[in-house]
Amino acid sequence: MIKQAFKDYRVVCLLLALTAMAIMFIYPGEKRIQPVYRLIFIVDITRSMNATDYQINGKAVSRLDTVKQTLRDLLLKLPCQSEVGLGIFTERRSALLFEPLEICSSYAEIDSTIARLDWRMAWAADSRIAKGLLSTLDMLQKRDSAILFITDGQEAPPVNPRYRTDFSSIKKRVKGMIIGTGGLNPVPIPKFNANGGQNGFYTPDDVPHRSTFGLPPSGSEQVEGYNARNAAFGSEAAVGNEHLSALHESYLQQLAVETGLGYARLVDLKALETLQTGGLAEPQAVVADVRWRAALTAWILLLFCFVPLPAKFTNKGHQ
Amino acid sequence: MTFAFETPWALSGLVLILLPLLDNGVGKTPYPWLRLIPEDPLSRLFSLCLHLLGMAAVAALILGLAGLYRTGQKIERIGHGAHIVLLLDRSNSMDNTFAGRTPSGDEESKADAARRLLTGFVDSRKQDLIGLAEYSTAPLFIMPLTDNKQALQAAIAATKTPALAYTHISKGLAIALSYFKQQPLTGARIVLLVSDGAAAIDPDNEQKLREWFKQYPVSLYWIYLRTEGSPGIDTFPEDSRNDNAQAMPERYLHLFFKSLNIPYQAYQAESPDAVQQAIADIDRLENRPLHYWQRLPKQDLSNVCYLWAVILMLLLLGLKFCEVRR
Repeated sequence: MIKQAFKDYRVVCLLLALTAMAIMFIYPGEKRIQPVYRLIFIVDITRSMNATDYQINGKAVSRLDTVKQTLRDLLLKLPCQSEVGLGIFTERRSALLFEPLEICSSYAEIDSTIARLDWRMAWAADSRIAKGLLSTLDMLQKRDSAILFITDGQEAPPVNPRYRTDFSSIKKRVKGMIIGTGGLNPVPIPKFNANGGQNGFYTPDDVPHRSTFGLPPSGSEQVEGYNARNAAFGSEAAVGNEHLSALHESYLQQLAVETGLGYARLVDLKALETLQTGGLAEPQAVVADVRWRAALTAWILLLFCFVPLPAKFTNKGHQ
Repeated sequence: MTFAFETPWALSGLVLILLPLLDNGVGKTPYPWLRLIPEDPLSRLFSLCLHLLGMAAVAALILGLAGLYRTGQKIERIGHGAHIVLLLDRSNSMDNTFAGRTPSGDEESKADAARRLLTGFVDSRKQDLIGLAEYSTAPLFIMPLTDNKQALQAAIAATKTPALAYTHISKGLAIALSYFKQQPLTGARIVLLVSDGAAAIDPDNEQKLREWFKQYPVSLYWIYLRTEGSPGIDTFPEDSRNDNAQAMPERYLHLFFKSLNIPYQAYQAESPDAVQQAIADIDRLENRPLHYWQRLPKQDLSNVCYLWAVILMLLLLGLKFCEVRR
């Protein structure tokens, strides 16, 4: 009788399905190489990041809010076992808020800290991007994380070309990218009072339009009213558009070249490929769940048992 | 408690439950005249069982494939613990030693001592929700109240990076109190301030802080890492002209805290050992019963589904061998 039972294809199907399930319980996972990321976000929180030149759902949104939203979205896309740290930049250096954390086990903590980033966390008001970049890279170069320096590139006060930052000490020592934020058209920077309420915008009189620290830039001898001792920067009042802010893309690209970092715009950060092409992905062996293969096989075999077949296909030779 | 799926689209496979619903999976044997066969309730029952078993097995496999899991389960617990906000001073002077020097070799800076001891403190407080805020000139929100010790350690470890700027204590206290804004009042609420100095609190901020301290009842612990030679919190100035908040900010901050009518304890620590003593005290004192809901992590049920599928298929197979074949 048992012999007869094995002639029934359904019995064979059920046995095969059970074998598949047995294999599934023995080998539930498979080792695979998957890209993971180890990133430290350094977010510029200086005043120019309050400029509202992004739009979400037709509403003007500040650069900082857009950065926060982008990072929170990115957090959801990164594969588990990736690690994310967070820091803020202002003045001429950065503060690290927390060391890189595994994103799946600490998602809620990372997400809520990003959500609470605020320009009022700034402990000083200058925005010396190049100096800040150097000190940040210097501070974080011992860590094996890639650094994403997110800024609009607005130096305040503007850099004296004579005192450009020298990046040779850390060039190519650190992996990472500079992420440019902001629009290409200059927009006014909101001004806030002590209680956090907006108080109009910065006017040309509010901000320095050139740096008068140290010696004047070379070639200043030709400037009108130049006097080596009394008016090294000339007699003209400094005028400029430093009270308006736009993405200084060519400047950031130049900084990227000098530091050996990559460059991308914030909108590019919406896609993980940006990080991949930036060479920030690290292959890591992870155990992938492959139970679905065996389960699917078993399922199809099981369904075969219940396909209504006309009598002539079954129990052949018993008529 | 809710059930959810990793890959919900796989549920579309449930349509194929129709197959075992329409067919019981028994081989058909041709008969010349069906009325010859007598009515057999037992066979009908078995046939029904076969339908049901088949449907259940197909469904179990699909639920497994869709990655069924249970989430949002909570267990009500009464424990001993507290909501603690660690408020850390990140001003420049924290990077100096207790003697007020730049640390050399075997000496420990105040920030190092604080970091080492807080690391141990966070680990020892197993049932507490702990948050971390820092301040220098501006307040920094670092970690929300959480039981994720790993995240807290990562945040404490990050204070190894150089300190920031000055001491703006009122903003620091304000951000620490803001952690309790959306928390239910249960168990002990603690603000643990670790600083190496103080600053005058201006009248506007003082008014607000008084309001908030009343609104969010907390106990306050102040570990004052006193630098050698600097005035203590109980030091009375020799010259009465120096008895003001600008000249003696520590003394005046202490007076301010005492006037708040909240449980308050100050520790003056002149060495890393004294800091340890203060933390041990808090460990001992703050163990009021805490009523809380422990959230269980997501429970994967796909293996349970697969196990049921195997059991059902084994039953089907068993019944196959009971089939009458002619």
